[in-house]
Amino acid sequence: MDSDNLVEIKDLTKVYSSGRIEVVALKDINMSLRQGQFRGITGPSGSGKSTLMNLLGGLDTPSSGSIKVQGKFISELDHEELALYRRHQVGMIFQSFNLISSYTAWENVAFPLLFADVPKKERIERATEILDMVGLFERKDHRPAELSGGEQQRVAIARAFINRPKILLADEPTGNLDSKTSEQITQILSDLNKNRGFTVVMISHEESLLAEYADDVVRLCDGKIVEQETNN
Amino acid sequence: MRFTDYIEQSFSNLRKKKLRTFLTTFGVVIGIGALVCMFAFGKGMQKNVTDSFNKLELFNYLGVFQRSQDDQRNQSPQYPNKQGETDRQTRNLDDDFLIGLTKIEGVEWAFPEIRFPAMIRFQEEEEFSLVQVLPAKICQSGIVDFRAGTFYTSDEENSLIISDSLLRRMDIKKPEEAVGKKIEVSTLAIDFSLDNIPNILSFLRGQGLPFSRQSYTFTIVGVTERMGVSGPTLMRSDVCIPRGTSEKMKKLPLTNISDLFASTRQMQGYTAVGIKLTSPKYVEPVKKHLEDMGFETFSLMDQLEEINTVFIFMDLFLFAVGMIAIVVASLGIINTMVMSIMERYKEIGIMKAVGASNKDVKKIFFFESGVIGFMGGIFGLALGWIVSVIINLIINGIAVGQGVPNMNYFSFPWWLCLGAIVFSIFVSLIAGIYPTLRAAKVDPVVALRHD
Repeated sequence: MDSDNLVEIKDLTKVYSSGRIEVVALKDINMSLRQGQFRGITGPSGSGKSTLMNLLGGLDTPSSGSIKVQGKFISELDHEELALYRRHQVGMIFQSFNLISSYTAWENVAFPLLFADVPKKERIERATEILDMVGLFERKDHRPAELSGGEQQRVAIARAFINRPKILLADEPTGNLDSKTSEQITQILSDLNKNRGFTVVMISHEESLLAEYADDVVRLCDGKIVEQETNN
Repeated sequence: MRFTDYIEQSFSNLRKKKLRTFLTTFGVVIGIGALVCMFAFGKGMQKNVTDSFNKLELFNYLGVFQRSQDDQRNQSPQYPNKQGETDRQTRNLDDDFLIGLTKIEGVEWAFPEIRFPAMIRFQEEEEFSLVQVLPAKICQSGIVDFRAGTFYTSDEENSLIISDSLLRRMDIKKPEEAVGKKIEVSTLAIDFSLDNIPNILSFLRGQGLPFSRQSYTFTIVGVTERMGVSGPTLMRSDVCIPRGTSEKMKKLPLTNISDLFASTRQMQGYTAVGIKLTSPKYVEPVKKHLEDMGFETFSLMDQLEEINTVFIFMDLFLFAVGMIAIVVASLGIINTMVMSIMERYKEIGIMKAVGASNKDVKKIFFFESGVIGFMGGIFGLALGWIVSVIINLIINGIAVGQGVPNMNYFSFPWWLCLGAIVFSIFVSLIAGIYPTLRAAKVDPVVALRHD
């Protein structure tokens, strides 16, 4: 494997056990990501896409195998170190946006800065600036319920990259959106990838979107990589 | 997260659930209010007692009593029959003894404690009271507080000072009205003289002692505030008369009922002598000196410890009652916090996803508990204070009408105010431990799983 890789995943296995039943969500995944890559991940429901995302995002820990990000094994980090990893290295975007409903757009965007000990004044400045970047400056004081799905997802994207992470992880970001808005959201991710150098991993059912925007697409099935194709 | 961020977050999160926060905090307010009230009452009572002791310099007071014949017999093994034993037995609390006392280091002055029963008659009203003999010198020493008039200046005057509570019992509401007026003091004396034949005859038939009643007229020169403290305070009767005048009166010397019978045997000397010391540090040496001479002594310093023990028990009892309210309030906090965590399950997942550590999550909820405690402490203190003011008004409203001086039954020392707030925060944080641990345990993967 290329040592220049941003992310190196080796023999990654995740087994969930509930009671006596064990479910193998991921089995011996080997994968790598280059800096600045736009990686698409697709596959049927229950193929382990989201599990892979949670492991990459440091929300979950693997049963075996390793994930190395920028030369560090995040699979070996403790709770506190994992929190730091999530805070500074990755930004996550979800299908259901996962915004805090009682917060305004800018408060949602600025939320990660709270844990990064950024002073309030700077939090407001940065959140406003980033909302402007995703075209929501006018909507900064609106709460999620007052925003359309596309707008909510743009707030979520803004929140994901406000801490200037290395990797953006988008778990079906267009799953709840119509095709036009899906296109817009994917375009924003693509822009962040091309213009600002974020490495993007995007899970999607919509293979046409991935075919259009992603550098390459990995297909998962039953917790295994069944296909890896490079676009263009 | 910064400290100010935690505070700001807590307040803004609590504001979102105004009613619930209000109700939970109100529970704490009541708990802390009750506790503060109880404590302030305990401390207030203690302060009133100690203050009045200090004000009257009662810790400088030493009472000396003659050991009764029985006591002397019982205690004889402890006093071996050596030289000086006779000295002990024959020693009386007489004037020579008083003069001798004043020569002991630390004794400011000594005075006989004489009290006798008398009927007080003033403007058609009659009240039974114990009259105390209070030398003019002591009266002048500034120990007695006057509501109207002043002290008598000589021991030979036909003047007296009277307490305002006795006056009030006799329907005199304004003390100044009584000053300068004549008052009649009727004493009882055991009288075997020929003037008292009817009573002597009834005595011989076993129908009571041969008392005769003798009336003396005095002028009221001063009205004092009766001290609400029991025990040998300097002024412990409602009426005080000068010493010289008292000696000329026929009366029954009486400090307690046993004196009535003892008096025949121990006619020489006084039953009790009060000693005023220059400083409380002389209490022990002077006391020892007098006990070696075979007298019984009494000092409030001995009682203070006992009194303090009583107050510790009182405080504990009041604390226990207040704690019940606190425990209930903490359950309210636990309930609210657990509810809040369940409602904000997803939010906790989001916190973790954007980089909050378990510690951060714990702190966020810990601060919320703390803020509830802080608010509860502040408003609880306020509530306690308001309730104490109301109770004071009610008690004083009732008590003043019955001759008890107006007083503050509560005391709010600074440490109680600060302690109430700190304690409230502390209790709330304790109550927050379990919910907080639950919050930290939230699995972000589960919390963020889209429904």
